[in-house]
Amino acid sequence: MLPEFDLLRPHTLPEALALLAEQAPDIMPLAGGTNLIVELRGGRRSPKKLVDVSRLRELRGICRDDGHLVIGGGTTITELLAHPLIGEHGRPLRQAAAMLGNPLVRNRATVAGNLANASPAADTAPPLLALGAEIELVSSQGARRVPLDEFMVGVNKTLIRPDELLASLRWPVPPARSAARFCKIGLRKADACSVINAAAMVVWDEGGRCRQARIAIGAAAPRPVRAYAAETALQGQLLQSRAIEEAAHLAVQATDPIDDIRGTAAYRRRMAEVTVRRLLMQIAEVAGK
Amino acid sequence: MKPEVITLNVNGRTHHIALAPNVTLLTAVRDLGYTDVKCGCEKGDCGACAVLLAFPGAERGEPVNSCLVLAWQADGADITTVAGLGTAAQPHPLQAAFADAGAIQCGYCSPGFIIAAKALLDCNPRPTEHEIRDAIEGNLCRCTGYGHIVDAIRGAADKLPPAKGGAQ
Amino acid sequence: MTRYTAKPLPPIQLPELRQVGKPLRRVDAMGKAVGATAYAGDFSMPRMLHAKVFRSSQASAYIKRLDVRKARSLAGVACVLTAADVPNARLASDIPGQTGQQIRAGSEVPALASDRVRFYGEPIALIAAETPNIAERAMPLIEIEYEPLPGVYDPMEAMKPGAPNLHPPDNIVARWKIRKGNTEAGFAEADLIVENTFRLPYQEHAYLEPEAGVAWIDERGVINIRVSTQVIEHFRSIARAVGVPQNKIRIQGTMVGGGFGGKEDITVEIYLALLAKHTNRPVKLVYTREESILGHSKRHPYLIKHRTGVKKHGRISAAEIELISDSGAYPYLSPYVLLYSAVMSNGPYRVDNLRVEAATVATNNPYTSAFRGFGGPQACFAYEQQMDAIAEKLGMDPLELRKINYVRAGDSTSTGQVLESAAWLEETATRAMAALGDKTPDHGPLKVGQGFASYFQSYGRIMWLHDTSQAWVGVELDGTVTVRAGVPDLGAGQANSLCQIAAEVLGVPLEHVSIYCTDSAITPLSGTSTATRQLYMSGNATLMAATNVRQALLDRASKHFAEEIETLDMAEGRVFVKSNPSKFVELADLAKACAAEGAHLANLAMFKAPFSDPIDPETGQGSVFPDFTFGAYAVEVAVDTETGQLAVLKAAACHDVGRAINRAAVEGQIAGGGMQGLGYALMENLIVKDGVIQTPSLSEYLIPTCKDFPKTTVIILESGTGVGPFGAKGIGEPSFTPAAPALASAVADAIGVRIHELPLTPERVLAAIDGAKK
Repeated sequence: MLPEFDLLRPHTLPEALALLAEQAPDIMPLAGGTNLIVELRGGRRSPKKLVDVSRLRELRGICRDDGHLVIGGGTTITELLAHPLIGEHGRPLRQAAAMLGNPLVRNRATVAGNLANASPAADTAPPLLALGAEIELVSSQGARRVPLDEFMVGVNKTLIRPDELLASLRWPVPPARSAARFCKIGLRKADACSVINAAAMVVWDEGGRCRQARIAIGAAAPRPVRAYAAETALQGQLLQSRAIEEAAHLAVQATDPIDDIRGTAAYRRRMAEVTVRRLLMQIAEVAGK
Repeated sequence: MKPEVITLNVNGRTHHIALAPNVTLLTAVRDLGYTDVKCGCEKGDCGACAVLLAFPGAERGEPVNSCLVLAWQADGADITTVAGLGTAAQPHPLQAAFADAGAIQCGYCSPGFIIAAKALLDCNPRPTEHEIRDAIEGNLCRCTGYGHIVDAIRGAADKLPPAKGGAQ
Repeated sequence: MTRYTAKPLPPIQLPELRQVGKPLRRVDAMGKAVGATAYAGDFSMPRMLHAKVFRSSQASAYIKRLDVRKARSLAGVACVLTAADVPNARLASDIPGQTGQQIRAGSEVPALASDRVRFYGEPIALIAAETPNIAERAMPLIEIEYEPLPGVYDPMEAMKPGAPNLHPPDNIVARWKIRKGNTEAGFAEADLIVENTFRLPYQEHAYLEPEAGVAWIDERGVINIRVSTQVIEHFRSIARAVGVPQNKIRIQGTMVGGGFGGKEDITVEIYLALLAKHTNRPVKLVYTREESILGHSKRHPYLIKHRTGVKKHGRISAAEIELISDSGAYPYLSPYVLLYSAVMSNGPYRVDNLRVEAATVATNNPYTSAFRGFGGPQACFAYEQQMDAIAEKLGMDPLELRKINYVRAGDSTSTGQVLESAAWLEETATRAMAALGDKTPDHGPLKVGQGFASYFQSYGRIMWLHDTSQAWVGVELDGTVTVRAGVPDLGAGQANSLCQIAAEVLGVPLEHVSIYCTDSAITPLSGTSTATRQLYMSGNATLMAATNVRQALLDRASKHFAEEIETLDMAEGRVFVKSNPSKFVELADLAKACAAEGAHLANLAMFKAPFSDPIDPETGQGSVFPDFTFGAYAVEVAVDTETGQLAVLKAAACHDVGRAINRAAVEGQIAGGGMQGLGYALMENLIVKDGVIQTPSLSEYLIPTCKDFPKTTVIILESGTGVGPFGAKGIGEPSFTPAAPALASAVADAIGVRIHELPLTPERVLAAIDGAKK
């Protein structure tokens, strides 16, 4: 049974933002509901008011804007899976979308919801971090852009203000000489919460040397983390086993996992190394072609 | 928390009902008498409550967990439940296929599966086995081991016309 | 592992049947497909109240203070009941079914806890209110104070003197002993002794339909309970607990949305009956998923120790087996689960010198009871792993070792019961393994292994319970057929099988048979849908009743045709002369003629299982079960040696089902039971800490999705030697038993080390791989 709340249903984004401005902090946005409704039922959250943003057209849309891929926060996970621009310029995000929850959930769950809920295991986070994404937070006061790295600060904690909505996100169209991949480890082959997840993107020069690397790991710390030491170690290196193994080894340092019902901290640390190594090997294979 | 009158079009029938905002679409349709929509977990883990949800202007309904949609969020939408696909006298090819392929044991999961399968065949009339399993990976079955269910969906696909759309 | 060749089968010619054996569309299938079938939670009655159960938030405590006045006075609350209101509401928890007798003192369970709670989630109070919302709001208004009592959460600890005690005099709920031959001599002559310890975990039934029901009192004062249950005979226990005569309780069982043993004990019926009686209004109770996981029984965790003496050529010379199971807070069916596991502990192998000691122990953990296999699967995991371990030590092929020791028809079990039906062990094992084909090559970090498990599993209930089943079959005046039987249908096609049998015997198409079932007041009682007994018992009862009706009809027809009965047959709704089918009469016309003459068109038959005496308490010798099913399961698995994750690449099952009544239903049971067994082996991890379940919903307790395992190759063998109708055996539980050990065996083949514990989580697999490297 769900607790009692008022549900406001604005028709436009400005209406929604006005309601948030007026009623904050007792009001929360409701999009796909795939996390929030579960939390309401379980008593983990009990806002007095919800504002339904699930049908606001302004929050949808996937397009290429100059050198960036821009997606509305209300984009569903299914839309990510289906859209050719994501397949072309956001490959790790598409991989994550295919493994997030299940198709019924994906038809409702939104990218903004996944990020704003900020579970450390959020599957869209590592790919977007690897892609160098930036999010746009809007309120009736205006808009601000925040790099995704800075946005997620802890378990279910982000920088979002009570009167803001995560309206869109963008990332630079990856250059031709680059590849990015995602993987996750779950306890069954579908519809499984990640025990650990990770994404990596590498940009290389004409000689095949790494110009830039981003490695992100989730479910291994209070928030998804970037493995900066590993990224730095790859700089200027050819993507060969030794460099990859060293980077994978360094990536573990970025993690700070706990023991929980799905896995031990030790296992997560060990898997951080395995997953990062495998991602870099996959990318190396693409680079080699 | 005041109840408001919303409109739900279920299986082609229009219902105007006064509901509080904290009522899920699952509860709302079941209370309207559509008990063919089953409750298995109320968390989106099992798919038993799947319905097709089509907002005005949508080409077709999407399969969703009705336990995770608030009824107010579906105001004005078209909802299809398994009972809306066919009857015992005139079953939908999917329903007949499930019944004939041994895909129904206890049957509690069947409505959700048939809805997910309908949505699949509406977009992809000739799915591979892999695509079938992808489409139903959010529906849990504890009785059948899924083999006959996959057979049933493939069998129904073979019987449905190859052209896309209008598959009702 | 060398590839096996299927052992040839004896030349059996089972008579060709018209309906039985065919994969006909089941009578219940279409109703379910179009959403017309109503399950227990789909009913409503006018003026119905909604119930909730208030449960203990302590695993072990005295109830110091319980005050429900605030809850009672909430507007819209009709009734709040505590133990004080229903002091006699105690349920006999062991052996549901015909006798209703309690065999063991101390097996009673209070419907509501009074002074003490023994497990987390134990029911303490019942609320009935005008709406589900109000019932839920009344819950936190119940005031309760606990005084924590030291609890015990490990059976080994609970067995120690001085351990916190759940039920006097000690925590040992039951013991069984088996003594056969001379184990001392047997071990003395062994060339090798192999010892291993195995651990089996909890398992949650996770049926898709949570428990639900509606109760109301009708115009004659009868308490009607419409409920999802495996046992309608519970009306007797409920009558006693509620304080009404047995003929004033009526249980109308609905189509069950999955049982597997979890709806074998009384679940919501008692609460519904109590609330209906106290409010005099209809009451509905539907569990949430979390409440279902919290509130019903689990599969018994086991610790099993094997000590086996073998000769160097592989013959087992002696075995000593110790089994300890966790009975949880209340006994329920623990003593019987223990018996099954003890009787089947040595597997389908000839062991002339055997010593088995088994104990089931109370703890403050969630209570354990029936779950598909009922102790047999736990025993099988242990004995099959033990056989593989012995084979490895002897340097023998696992099948070769088994061939030397497999039982055959005519051999006896651990309790000295002679096996009378076919024991197609080598036949099924070779076919299951052959179906896997050549082993997929290793690739990168993936190591591939193949393995199989043989098993035997009883069907039919313990014979000293004197099991019976009744069925009524009749022909209507238009030639259609009606069956009435108490049988609860759990989805395995229990009801359909009876229809298919009646259709076969009376020569009508299946669509012309209608069944009315699962009503304790108006359908003849067929006994429980448990213990893989329905096809055997009710199938035979239906066969008897239909045959009696057939006999009466043919008798009348023989006068009509002036031919001997032996020359006549029935098919396609007609009675005809076999040698001249154009000489026929429509069944409808024959029925009308019989009715006009006052001849019987219907028959009520009772089938009785063989009755035996209880086994000897010191030696365990005696006959226990009517018969056993034999078979095998084989798995090919790829182990990711870096992550510990497993991917089952191929799965095959081969069982001798005696005779398949509905082929599609049998395939479905084999595929589904096998998958449930793979889930048990791989991902179903019910974590309990200090008596509290840490995996409360289906997000944490994972059951297989359609992506987790490939389609099982199902190979059905039919020896025709079962004691069920047409030579059928049972398959409901047997289909589950060998899957987990087969997977474990395949994993051992892949990584070269055996894991003696389930589930095979990635971390456990990785730890085994690490251990092997050292």
